Amino acid sequence: MESHFPYSLNRRSFLGGSTGALGMLALAHLLRAESKPPATADQRHLTMGAATHHRPRAKSVICLFQHGGPSQVDLFDPKPALTKLDGKPYSGDLEAHFDKQKGNCLASPFRFTPSGQSGIELSELLPHTARIADEITLIRSMTTESVDHESALRLIHSGTFSAGSPTWGSWVIYALGAENQNLPAYVVLSDPGGLPVDGGRNWSSGWLPAVYQGTPFQTGDAPVPNLMTPPNVTPGARVAQLQFLDQLNRFQQRRFPDNSELKARITNFETAARMQTTVPSALDLSSETQATQKMYGLDNPITRDYGARCLTARRLIERGVRFVQLFLSGQPWDTHSENAKTLTGLCARTDQPSAALVEDLKQRGLLDSTIVLWTGEFGRLPISQGKDGRDHNRHAFSLWLAGGGFKPGYCHGGTDDVGYRAVKDVVTVHDLHATLLWALGLDHRRLTHPHDGRPTSLSDPELTQARVVPELLA
Amino acid sequence: MCSALRILLTMLLVLVSGQSGAGIAAEGEMPPDDALSTDEQKLLRRWIEDGAPGLSKTASGKTGHWAFQRLGTHNPPQPTDAGRGRTPVDRFVLSKLDLRGLSLNPQADRSTLIRRVSYDLTGLPPAPDEITRFLADQADDAYQRMVDRYLSSPRYGERWGNHWLDVAGYADSNGYFSADTDRPLAYRYRDYVIRSFNADKPFDQFVREQLAGDELAETIGYRPGGTITPRFIELLEATHFLRNAQDGTDSSDGNPDEVRTDKYKALEGTLQIIGSSLLGLKLQCARCHDHKFEPIRQREYYQLQAVLFPAFNVDNWIVPQKRFVIAASAKRIAEWEADSAKLDDEVALLQTRFAEWFRKNREPGLVAFEDRFDKSDRPDATADPDANTKWSNSVPGDASPAGTPAVQIGSATAPGAVVEKAALRIIESGAAGDRGISTKRKFDWTPDAKNAWIQATFDLVANSVDGSPPAARIGYFIALADFNDRGEGGGNILLDGNPAGGAAVDLDYPGSDSKSAGSIGQQGYQSGHNYGVRVTNEGQDRFRLDHLVDGAVEGKSVTIAASDLPDGGFGFEYCCGRSFIVDNVVVETSDPSLDPSDRLMFAKKLAAKRKKQSDGLKALAAQRTDKPGKIAWVTDASSESLDVYLLDRGDYKARLEKVQPAGLTILSDPDNPSELRPTDSKVIRTTGRRLAFARWLTQPGSKSAAVLARVTVNRIWQRHFGRGIVSTSDNLGYSGSPPSHPKLLDWLAARFVESSWSVKHMHRLILASAAYRQSSVPNQAGREIDPDNRLLWRHALRRLDAESIRDGMLAISGELDRRMGGPYVPTKRLSPSEVTVDENSPGARRRSVYLQRRRTQIPNFLKVFDAPSVVFNCTLRDSTTVPLQSLALMNSDFSRRRAAALAARLRRDAGAGRDAKITRAFLLVLGRDATREERVVSRTFLTQQSAEYSAQVADDEQAWVDFSQMLMASNAFLYVE
Repeated sequence: MESHFPYSLNRRSFLGGSTGALGMLALAHLLRAESKPPATADQRHLTMGAATHHRPRAKSVICLFQHGGPSQVDLFDPKPALTKLDGKPYSGDLEAHFDKQKGNCLASPFRFTPSGQSGIELSELLPHTARIADEITLIRSMTTESVDHESALRLIHSGTFSAGSPTWGSWVIYALGAENQNLPAYVVLSDPGGLPVDGGRNWSSGWLPAVYQGTPFQTGDAPVPNLMTPPNVTPGARVAQLQFLDQLNRFQQRRFPDNSELKARITNFETAARMQTTVPSALDLSSETQATQKMYGLDNPITRDYGARCLTARRLIERGVRFVQLFLSGQPWDTHSENAKTLTGLCARTDQPSAALVEDLKQRGLLDSTIVLWTGEFGRLPISQGKDGRDHNRHAFSLWLAGGGFKPGYCHGGTDDVGYRAVKDVVTVHDLHATLLWALGLDHRRLTHPHDGRPTSLSDPELTQARVVPELLA
Repeated sequence: MCSALRILLTMLLVLVSGQSGAGIAAEGEMPPDDALSTDEQKLLRRWIEDGAPGLSKTASGKTGHWAFQRLGTHNPPQPTDAGRGRTPVDRFVLSKLDLRGLSLNPQADRSTLIRRVSYDLTGLPPAPDEITRFLADQADDAYQRMVDRYLSSPRYGERWGNHWLDVAGYADSNGYFSADTDRPLAYRYRDYVIRSFNADKPFDQFVREQLAGDELAETIGYRPGGTITPRFIELLEATHFLRNAQDGTDSSDGNPDEVRTDKYKALEGTLQIIGSSLLGLKLQCARCHDHKFEPIRQREYYQLQAVLFPAFNVDNWIVPQKRFVIAASAKRIAEWEADSAKLDDEVALLQTRFAEWFRKNREPGLVAFEDRFDKSDRPDATADPDANTKWSNSVPGDASPAGTPAVQIGSATAPGAVVEKAALRIIESGAAGDRGISTKRKFDWTPDAKNAWIQATFDLVANSVDGSPPAARIGYFIALADFNDRGEGGGNILLDGNPAGGAAVDLDYPGSDSKSAGSIGQQGYQSGHNYGVRVTNEGQDRFRLDHLVDGAVEGKSVTIAASDLPDGGFGFEYCCGRSFIVDNVVVETSDPSLDPSDRLMFAKKLAAKRKKQSDGLKALAAQRTDKPGKIAWVTDASSESLDVYLLDRGDYKARLEKVQPAGLTILSDPDNPSELRPTDSKVIRTTGRRLAFARWLTQPGSKSAAVLARVTVNRIWQRHFGRGIVSTSDNLGYSGSPPSHPKLLDWLAARFVESSWSVKHMHRLILASAAYRQSSVPNQAGREIDPDNRLLWRHALRRLDAESIRDGMLAISGELDRRMGGPYVPTKRLSPSEVTVDENSPGARRRSVYLQRRRTQIPNFLKVFDAPSVVFNCTLRDSTTVPLQSLALMNSDFSRRRAAALAARLRRDAGAGRDAKITRAFLLVLGRDATREERVVSRTFLTQQSAEYSAQVADDEQAWVDFSQMLMASNAFLYVE
């Protein structure tokens, strides 16, 4: 094939040929619950494990993304030295994002205590995360390259500052494909309150084909556009519609028996009809027990929204979705003022559901095969901005991972005395990418796609020196 | 994917063995077909990783890649099967097919042909009468005339203009940041492009205009502020090409390094678009180091950057919103001014009438305080007892003066307040300072009953005193208490009357705890009118502040809390050299004895009247247009020849040596050297660099013009066959795909140049060929020998692009709104995952090219069918097949509405007869009659649906809607054979 791409959407059927009579299948899915679609041979690219480079530890990812830059010294990285320096000028050289101000040292007002068997020290703002301390891998020595929100978001999501590159979820499903043909492989759960900063770019497939982009699901009646049959079309009428369309398409296809795209389009109507039931049922939380709902904080107006998205993430992973990313609206962790007060509110919203997700996955036996990643795009400064805020910091931030072969109850790396700069066992966002892919059975050096005349990858190791961090893995 | 690598390998072998590479490149022969061995691949990879040593040397030598040569003269070959062909194009195609024992398919039937031509040239389906006419036309040149009819349709420019807009990276937003701010004037460039294609403007001229329209205009007499001709306007509009790239510099915050980066990104984006759209090269790869695959040195990247740098000077940056020029004919401006004056009059009339109504119908009040300053007709105003008894330089309940130095009551020296000529003079010097005077009395600003009110008004006699500069603001206070913030805060509400309109409301002013509460009103502060504020109890401890002009409430209001309004005085602000004269200060309250139901009646009447008033004003405002002639353009920031530097590894802070503007060495000729020497410096004010580059690029007979011609005809071919002769149409260099028919490409490029770069001529040439007119149905031999159809043994089966699907459905349903040009039709984000065009908006059924192209807000219906969210530009659309498309066709409001309209059209066009309606539907949707089997299943379906719906609806209209929708969801509609 003379195509520039090794993988052409024009020529490949995503879903393979359908054997059953469309009308009957569609009817089944319109009127009943979901059933498994027929597996076909032509799914090489979309089958779990088929494209891994080595034995995978995990097969799916849930990313709990915390927009704005959560403050590491208030949440994950206790700094007694900073407490002593509180209110005093910072003696060293320090890079502030917003030029003019350079405040004094600002101690964290929050108490840190060792948690679990592992004794990882966590802030009093995170009592629920403390409960799962023995499940998580905490990295205190993360660094990134930009203190600009958009640039840093693109860097952590796609490995490069510039817009238009594929995001991590796109790379993962490009390599591993979907497990469930009735649901998108890469689902984004965005906040009903609005899009996060940088909007759809956070789940763009960039220059990878559009089929690899994240599909945003909303909470509510219309999680994806056009999912509801028009109100005046009865189930019987819909079945007849699909049958008629199928007949028309098969007449036309007879003239082009070699064209797999036409075939794919015929089966897509079947898939679409199935999605109409599978998507709403995947998102229907009412079937969860009271206890589960309570665990995620659905009974509390403060935790309800975020908790519902965490619970939805679990349901999607259960149904074979490969990559789920959850967002908050705007950039709530961007605490330029009232740092302590804002953090208190945000932790009250997110701490319980985040921890519940890890516990729930574990009790259902899904944690081993699912990576949970809690992260923002950068960290914050140990000095104050204005009276009580903190400015952006690219030299240090903290994140945690759980499950999927990461080492439980382990704390990695460290920062200087005040938490300004990662100094011990530094992990870059590119190392994070390499290690995540590794856990999924993928070699970041070999997962490439030709772009701009060269094989391009998420980690771009030649440029970034990205490497797998073996200490993070169990 | 290995073709590029194979070429590189060949080059490497050439290098190693010292042989001449002339055979590979100049004749454009295909590289060997056999795949590389693993060892060869490893060798190559290592070589590339080492920076491809030696490549530039070879490539910039005498021999080189086929794409960088002058156009060759190729005579069409003589294939054995020449009889199957119609034109020289076919002889090239057939001679390749010959070699593999293949030939062209027979001609497609006539209805297939007209549908193919119509969609290709206009992006719309053929209309039924066009089909009938063509099918009936038995003349020899019927096909050619049909092609000509579509070429002369205005729809042609919309279709092919849209293709160019993709390549040029057009968007209606600035992109880059999530703000993705608006480009409200970009549409003028879009319209320029559409007009240019419709006029078949010579393509080389089209390119020169886009690169240097401003400089071209100056060579023919354009001067900013001088006489404006339509030709000047067109040239200035064309330069918007250079600002299609993302430019986030209007939204940048952060530190200077990042702002600088954002500026460079806009400059680099522009260069990248020039590279892929005009040169077929990925220039951006040479930004940090010599290009690893193409013969472009890093220095050359910066020499090209030097061409654009004066217009995108990172040291003297212009943000997108400021990059505009006013250029309109004097007549247009006079018309606009007359229209505006008429609207001003109508607004004034509405306001006067409302004020009259209000005075007659307002709720009567009680005067709580008044000062008419009448006893001051005598020269010794300081002795006026009233002035001293009524006014103070401190506020009630706060002994310290309100601001220092305190205002002297009775003094004409600033800061002073003195009564003269029966009016109060507020006299302030140039010094800043938050000062004020207040009534000695305090008032209750929070009347108890709901809808009860208190208001303070004054006449603005003059906005200056004794020739002082006009006051920038007319500031006055209510609830003056604790001016020096010793107590709890609150009070001291400043109303900062603005001559441009309305009054800003600041709570607890001055001091660091002061907060803005928005603004009230709309009308500006002019001498000779009465102004003020009314505070109305809205219940639940909320109080509404309304703006009063000439006694009547008007414009916006704000609502504040009772705690903001302690009992306190009324007064005037002293600040910043603002002196003015006021009279007739009156504080009035509603009458507590008034029956609450009467008060409610007054409030209701007023609310209704205000609604009507504001609707009227809005309707007038909607008629206003921007001053004509605003063009978003590009021009050099100055005429100085700027120093531009090579950047070490592309680092913006690491400037190395200076570079001069130049084209590419590989494309230079003895008579068209790459060094650019601007020659028009006497005639034009700018640097002339872009004009020199545009002329270099399009120099007749040059290598650079050959590249431009090849890139362009390849792209035209791509739009007619679904794939270019070079399938990587943005990259014809070493790392691009090799051409399937290299001699044909050159032959076409030569015809293009020969025809004065006429794009329409190229359509005629290509569309006349048997290769284009052949059927797309597969045959056994073709499928076995050339399954990818690289040799063109059949025409491609192509899915319609997003715009053709949407526009096609609108045309078929009879709803297409064919109005051309003008500002975009806005799109709307309904939810994080849903973007639509409001069906009720006036342009909802216009062609897709006129819809807003906000990068982050592409309508779902278009996006799902691969309409791009432009980052740089889009040289080739994806053609995906995903279930979301099926959902859109089955369930979207858009599909459903078009189907309903089509069902209605069928009834209108064909009456009640079922078979006549089926015939009409197939003709409209698929451009042909139904086959017998299609007719059978259609009838069955209609019967079935009618029965299904009969319980719910009286007639079978719903069945016809479903039928219409399914036809427009079918593959036969979505694909062009």
